[in-house]
Amino acid sequence: MRSPTQDDFVARRKPEWTALAEILALGRPLHRLPPATVSRFSALYRSVCADLVHARDVGHTPDLVRYLDGLAGGAHNLLYAAPPYRWGAAWELVARDFPRAVRRNGRFFAAGMALFFVPMLACAVATLVHPDFALQILTRDQLQGMADMYRDGFDGRPTSEDAGMAGFYVYNNVGIAFRCFATGVLLGLGSLFFLIFNGLTIGAVLGHVIASGHGHNILTFICTHGTFELTAIAIAGGAGLQMGHALVETRGRTRLGSLRAQGPDLAVIILGAAIMLTIAAVLEAFWSPSSAPPPLKWAASGACTLLLTVYFVRAGRVRAPRLLAGSGGLVPGGPRP
Amino acid sequence: MTRARERRGAPPPLDTVTEIETPEHVRFRYQLAGPARRMLAYVIDLLLRALIVTAILLTVAFTSDLLRSGFSRGATLLVVFAVEWGYYVLWESLWSGRTPGKRSMHLRVLKEGGYPTGFLDIALRNLLRAADFLPVAYSVGLVVMGLDPRFRRLGDMVAGTIVVVEDPRRIGHALTVSPPPTAAELAALPARLDLGADDLDAIALFLRRVGTLNPARERELADLVAPVYARRLGGLRYDDPARFLALVYLRATARGAA
Repeated sequence: MRSPTQDDFVARRKPEWTALAEILALGRPLHRLPPATVSRFSALYRSVCADLVHARDVGHTPDLVRYLDGLAGGAHNLLYAAPPYRWGAAWELVARDFPRAVRRNGRFFAAGMALFFVPMLACAVATLVHPDFALQILTRDQLQGMADMYRDGFDGRPTSEDAGMAGFYVYNNVGIAFRCFATGVLLGLGSLFFLIFNGLTIGAVLGHVIASGHGHNILTFICTHGTFELTAIAIAGGAGLQMGHALVETRGRTRLGSLRAQGPDLAVIILGAAIMLTIAAVLEAFWSPSSAPPPLKWAASGACTLLLTVYFVRAGRVRAPRLLAGSGGLVPGGPRP
Repeated sequence: MTRARERRGAPPPLDTVTEIETPEHVRFRYQLAGPARRMLAYVIDLLLRALIVTAILLTVAFTSDLLRSGFSRGATLLVVFAVEWGYYVLWESLWSGRTPGKRSMHLRVLKEGGYPTGFLDIALRNLLRAADFLPVAYSVGLVVMGLDPRFRRLGDMVAGTIVVVEDPRRIGHALTVSPPPTAAELAALPARLDLGADDLDAIALFLRRVGTLNPARERELADLVAPVYARRLGGLRYDDPARFLALVYLRATARGAA
């Protein structure tokens, strides 16, 4: 029995292929099409898949196979499209996904904090004890510039200048955090460098300015936004270390597979850190240089610290369902991460 | 009678095609985009980004004093930041894996399974540009791309994405032989030809170019290939290698032939 020739096959099936191509040409995602079109689409997709397999098997011409390949491929992408973007996802990221991801990878967060704060404090103390220590890290001009900046207190400045600085802080700080994170893929070395270097630099500046007698000014300036900013830098660096660690300790996967397995957590963590840095930039531009009295700024700093602690410890935890009273209390209804 | 589609144990041909099997057990082939195409797409995107930033800066510079203030400076820096880090994320998530540069080179970002990308994947692959860029001009990224069989840079590896070439396919016009085959020529060919899909693909690619090649080149190419098939099909003889290939093709695809 002779199998039908290609021309017969094309003539018979072309109407359905054209119908499917028309649905694809609409260019709208599947969930926005009317229900009748969606069921017609699924039937057409199944039949086109069958046609493609048939055309390959029987050995029809390559251009026909390629056409069907493209048609089925486009339909496949439409059917298995990524879920539509929702605004609610942004809220869920902040309220649930970010704190959970940070808790899950808490040891990298801790490592990031340590690699940042230990050099910072060490360098600050060293500079207080030996004022020339800071010259190992920054030039005399740079140190003098920083000391001059904090010589006077803050009397507030025009809002437009605040807005300008807010833009600068976002551009500068979020960029640094992104680089700190991204370079972690090089076995964590890039993040290591960024964390330690930034810690030393900030420590040197702090030590020098305090030694120059303007410690009160600089500490009052950074106390509020510093909670957000320094924590976020540590988080971003920790995420970079997580990438480096995944390349080294693979737990039975390939190095690449191990790295990719971290992907979802990493994306959530770095986006959350970016949001924290944006908040820090706004605070640094509008609140920190304002003429509010120092006790108020310190109170705000304490409030931010408390808020962040509660956020990272408690946010996103779900209470396990309590059993009924008569069940003997086998499972206490405590929170689980 | 089934024909063997793949010879077991033979190494796969050197090609930049990746094959994906869907849940419907249909296998799609995507052509992977290599460093050259991706670099061109990047350059186009770079020019577009520079254009946007220049336009913003010029607008700020030429507007009145009211706007030439801290607000505009802050807004400009935000725009520069957004263009540097957010341009790719915005385009790729809103235009299903394409940016203007990629679109002009017919490229598209997909997840490794052939699925469209999600927002987090796009964010991750673009954040890692900072690592791919080191030390200068994407050196690390290009080296990694060259070493990887799927042309992935570090960002693609972490996010699990690939960049493919999308070409719209059309059913081409039917391939014919002119002057039409004589009965003697057709009788000289065996009734059934043992040619795989890859062989037909290759012959079809050649036959479609016949009109655009000069005769000497056409003969040269056909002379390279025709003896192989003549031998494989049982020691056939021919005068014109290109015509021989066309006849073989027509017989193998059995389009309206006897």
